[in-house]
Amino acid sequence: MASGLAALAALAPLRELERFTSMDEFLQKHYKELSPDEMSKVLARIEDEVEQAYGQRPHVRDLKPMNGVEFVYALNLTRCVGCRKCVHACVAENNQSRTPEIQYIRVIKMPNGTFDLERGDHSYEPETVPEKGFYYMPVQCHQCRNPPCVRVCPVQATWQEPDGITVIDYNWCIGCRYCEAACPYWARRFNFTKPSLPKEQLNPNMAYLGNRPRKQGVVEKCHFCLQRTRAGRYPACLEVCPTGSRKFGNILDPQSEVAYILKNKRVFILKEEVGTLPRFFYYFDV
Amino acid sequence: MNSNSKATVVLVGFTVGFLVLQAAFLGDWWGKPRPLHEIAAVPPQFTNTATVRVSAKQLLASGGDTSGQDCYACHEKGKTPQVHIDKQGKVKLPSEHEDLVVHHGRNDRNNHCFNCHDPNNLDHFVTKNGSYLKLQEGTLLCASCHGPTFRDWEVGVHGRMSGFWNKANGDVTRQDCTSCHDPHAPAFPPVKPAPGPHPLRAEAVHVHSPDTKD
Repeated sequence: MASGLAALAALAPLRELERFTSMDEFLQKHYKELSPDEMSKVLARIEDEVEQAYGQRPHVRDLKPMNGVEFVYALNLTRCVGCRKCVHACVAENNQSRTPEIQYIRVIKMPNGTFDLERGDHSYEPETVPEKGFYYMPVQCHQCRNPPCVRVCPVQATWQEPDGITVIDYNWCIGCRYCEAACPYWARRFNFTKPSLPKEQLNPNMAYLGNRPRKQGVVEKCHFCLQRTRAGRYPACLEVCPTGSRKFGNILDPQSEVAYILKNKRVFILKEEVGTLPRFFYYFDV
Repeated sequence: MNSNSKATVVLVGFTVGFLVLQAAFLGDWWGKPRPLHEIAAVPPQFTNTATVRVSAKQLLASGGDTSGQDCYACHEKGKTPQVHIDKQGKVKLPSEHEDLVVHHGRNDRNNHCFNCHDPNNLDHFVTKNGSYLKLQEGTLLCASCHGPTFRDWEVGVHGRMSGFWNKANGDVTRQDCTSCHDPHAPAFPPVKPAPGPHPLRAEAVHVHSPDTKD
């Protein structure tokens, strides 16, 4: 009997477990199986949960991909100065945990003349940027056309949508982190602890697959700001870039600036040899 | 000791052991996670979408102080100002324009004032082929020499194009050249970077690659 008591007491950490906020959430179906009615109930429930936690009622939408659209990102390495404003604009837009810090974008300082990422440094903090002899390469989820993260998910909590964005159903993710291990670019972030987000920094304009607040034990990553891009806007990282190095658009539109870049500039991708076929292209202007 | 009392001792021992374990689990005697240091909020300048400068066109549109653009407040109409060149062939600015820093072109080769400013009509620009441009049309003046960059700018590939990528939803906003580039010293100024990432481990290991200087 004492061993039974000890075994039960060993489960004591479950007292702090917060995953089960409600039975509705526990019994919620996979995103792809939800009918429109069920989806609106789910969105209302999420709005209630966020209002309870942050004191502000958000507007959570289920934005669908647009027809005839495939998103592509291009980054001009001649112009990036390494200021990291994109990192923080993303954090402000997407309701990420501040302590511990989750940032979808990582800027890597590379010495001129090499693409060897082993020689990169991501914790540079000089007085001013850019530093002579270096170039800066921001890395985020590349929304690969052949995504290894989607293949390894044991529960299909992550999949690629028709407009190219690889999305995560945060309520379906079991937190096994196989996707985090599979990604060659370290695009995915895991919530090891309960994410902490100050109430006044909440962005109330949310999407179900996008920037709604996540829970402990769930994987998240860049989703090309789908709450903005599926409504026709540019992503937050692009809007803040002071040098205009970031370019985004619909590759299926021949008039878009990304089509112009892929036709006229010398573009390359990272880790071409692993065959992920990213939708994120780097290029030099001169 | 007979086997009965040995069994009793062992059982009592186990019971006590399990009760101690139970107390340990309930009381969190070990395995408590270390409290995380609060990471300071990033200063608001790093999420500000404003451009680094304000162009003449932006200034005029916003109704700001344009007294600095009124050349004839000091200059006499009809009188061409003199541009002084020193012994090394460099343009020497008069004391009234000392606040200007002029470094245009490789080795300052485009520093002469009248390469852009019309000497006879100071509130206009003049391009190499002799056409006149107003102060708000500075972008076309830059384009008269920087053609490939201007072509990229028109498409939206040079400089930031913000707003809506989907024309059906809204318009794009393209910045003027002088919203980012000081026309007299156009090289993009160095900026202070935002702080680097804070890893989860409390004792952060600062990675030194062999090429960084620190």
